[in-house]
Amino acid sequence: MKRRDFVKEITLGSLILKFNPALFAQNKGPPDLAWIKGDSPALLTREAIATLGGMKRFVSKGDIVMVKPNIGWDRPPKLAACTNPEIVKTIVELSLEAGAKQVNVIDNPCNPARRTYVRSGIAEAAKKAGAKVSFPNPHRLKKVALKGEWLKEWEVYTDFIEADKIINVPIAKTHSLSRLTMGMKNWLGAVGGNRNQLHQKLDQAMIDLAAFFKPCLTVLDGYRILIRNGPQGGRLSDVKLHKTVVAGVDYVAVDTAGATFFEMSPQELPYLQIAHQKGLGEINLEKLVIEKRTL
Amino acid sequence: MKKERSKKYRILQALRILSQTLFFLLFIYLLFGTHFPGEDYIGRVEIFFHFDPLLALATFIASRTIFVSFIFAAFTVILTFVLGRVACGWVCPLGSLHQFFSFIFKKLKLLKPKKNIDNRTAWKYYLLLFILVGTLFSLDLVGIFDPLSLLYRSFATSVLPAFSHGFSAFIGLLYQFNLSSLGDSFFQFYEKLAVNPTFLQGFFIGVLFIGIVLLNISRERFWCRYLCPLGAFLGLISRWNVVKLKIDPQKCIECNLCTIHCQTQANPFPEEEWKSSECVYCLTCSAICPTSAICFPIKSTPEKISQVDLSRRKLIFTSFLGVLTVPFFRLSPSARRASPKLIRPPGALPEKAFLQKCVKCGECMKVCPTNALQPALTEAGPEGIWTPMLVPKIGYCEYYCSLCSQVCPTGAIRELTVEEKTQIKIGLAWVDKNRCIPYVLGTPCIVCEEHCPTSPKAIKLVKIEVKLPDGNIKTPVAPIIDTDLCIGCGICETKCPVVDKPAIYVTSVGESRSERNQLLLDIIKE
Repeated sequence: MKRRDFVKEITLGSLILKFNPALFAQNKGPPDLAWIKGDSPALLTREAIATLGGMKRFVSKGDIVMVKPNIGWDRPPKLAACTNPEIVKTIVELSLEAGAKQVNVIDNPCNPARRTYVRSGIAEAAKKAGAKVSFPNPHRLKKVALKGEWLKEWEVYTDFIEADKIINVPIAKTHSLSRLTMGMKNWLGAVGGNRNQLHQKLDQAMIDLAAFFKPCLTVLDGYRILIRNGPQGGRLSDVKLHKTVVAGVDYVAVDTAGATFFEMSPQELPYLQIAHQKGLGEINLEKLVIEKRTL
Repeated sequence: MKKERSKKYRILQALRILSQTLFFLLFIYLLFGTHFPGEDYIGRVEIFFHFDPLLALATFIASRTIFVSFIFAAFTVILTFVLGRVACGWVCPLGSLHQFFSFIFKKLKLLKPKKNIDNRTAWKYYLLLFILVGTLFSLDLVGIFDPLSLLYRSFATSVLPAFSHGFSAFIGLLYQFNLSSLGDSFFQFYEKLAVNPTFLQGFFIGVLFIGIVLLNISRERFWCRYLCPLGAFLGLISRWNVVKLKIDPQKCIECNLCTIHCQTQANPFPEEEWKSSECVYCLTCSAICPTSAICFPIKSTPEKISQVDLSRRKLIFTSFLGVLTVPFFRLSPSARRASPKLIRPPGALPEKAFLQKCVKCGECMKVCPTNALQPALTEAGPEGIWTPMLVPKIGYCEYYCSLCSQVCPTGAIRELTVEEKTQIKIGLAWVDKNRCIPYVLGTPCIVCEEHCPTSPKAIKLVKIEVKLPDGNIKTPVAPIIDTDLCIGCGICETKCPVVDKPAIYVTSVGESRSERNQLLLDIIKE
């Protein structure tokens, strides 16, 4: 190589690095967020996880994996009040394929679990995929130190503490207090106690809980989203077919991406801003490596 | 003379015990099966009631309407007509329970079978007459005394809940002994049983039930013998049946064992005094007879029948008493003005028609997925005791559920599809602004709004101005009710974080079933 060529290439390289770091990062490893659009919830999920480097990146052989969908309401999948059962099923399948010893699915719902587990279609789908689906067991509640800013301690289902890996599989819906409920709000379903009092400082509660549970992966169901009358909906007209799944390790970033489904910016969601300030994750999508794809 | 007990009748007796066990287990199976089955529609778990001719007759007279499902009661009537009270001896689960406890009390030497015959067997006929006279005036008290209603109600609101608490405590114990995986399996099983554990009157109904069981210490099958109005009814129609007791005078040694051990005081010996209306065909007499002297041949020609001594004077007196009692039941204000707490299940008929049909069996309370339906005490007046009412502090009416309307055995709750049910108002929610967190403290809450199941939501949030004790002003959003949209399901009250006395509550006004218990005249609305 000639000296001239060497200098040329160095200059070019540093220019590229300065103005478009993503180019290099892409080659280095998986993106921060996989943002997949398409027709089949199951395929979207598979593609999103594959884009992030495959489930083996998150789940090791012999792990006990806790999958936490939103099974909050006695509503069928078409009304988009609970996570899409196909997406939950796919996550369970992928975890088992990656070598998980056991996959648990639990949510502490608002309507009786005996009803929501059935009507959401999640219990059947997850069981079919090989997961152990259990009703939340009050005997397994334990007061633990969350060390949060507001929630110093709270009753948590020990199933979540005992799991090796936690995968959060929320659905994107509107909510009158937090404005949107996605990944970070989903943790209210992993705790017991007087949950209804958490609403008095909901944003802070969401942050304290999210920081405690630290999911290794968040897969946001944006297949059907609830654009009004959340978090329950009730009519088909409350639902928008959005056909998207966003997955990532940074749960703040995933929620930020989810906000765009509703054409909202993180500036409109105080909980995202506080979470970002606390260093829990990124809310500036431009600083992230995002791989968007349509199937 | 050869002394030997009859083999044939001992086998028949064993068959009878088997039949009792099977029917009792069927009853328990259907009882446990009465919960959300994972689908919107449940099978005929209330089928036992439809074989009960007393319920059929009383609700027919009281409501002056025919409920088709009671067609099965005709089967019981025909059976009794032909074979006598076999339903009491071979089928009735309450009878079996009494007999079981009589057996236990005998083994414990608490109950000693006595020879003396009294005339208390007439009580049940007076009670039957009293109930039926009431129904003529649309006062339906049959559910209080009917054996199936009594048993189901006691099990659903008292025995099973007590069992559930015990089971739950046992599971807790497993965790204490670090047997958590065992505890987990037991808990998941317990959840699937779906037993409602909380009932306002569980204790009261339980004490009554235990009392009725303990009566067996005094006399074998005390309830069946002296009190059961259904037994009395079947006794009345059984006198022409073709299976009659016969004692072989050659064999009889007049030991009196048959009469001493007769479960229902049918008095087998002497033969002429045997009362076919009291006999439940348990076959104890023929099986116990040391000389096989007793048999039950089929006789086509009825002979002279010995009857329970019903004094005409007392019958007339009872009828008068029945008539006189009716107005006393109507003194309560509940007939004039709706009670705010009396929130009836969706599909319940208008109050008057409802009371004429409800048999207080507790099917609806058992099936309710949120434990919301509770037995009333005074809320519906004296005739409405143990009728179902929704207590939102305990549970709420699940939006996509019409199970209570499906299991009601008499149509007091009209059968509804889930679609129809979501259109029915059972009451209206009210915000207590003196207690509601945003109204008082200026702190956000919205829990009621979040849980409101209608779309659009009946609970709206509006910005309000709150003056705090320190003089500062806060402007949170606070709940306000859209009375047009509210269906009165009560989930807001159940979930309200102000636990002791919820800051949002439901009262019965606006219920679809009532013309008068309304907030606004429809004319004004339009």
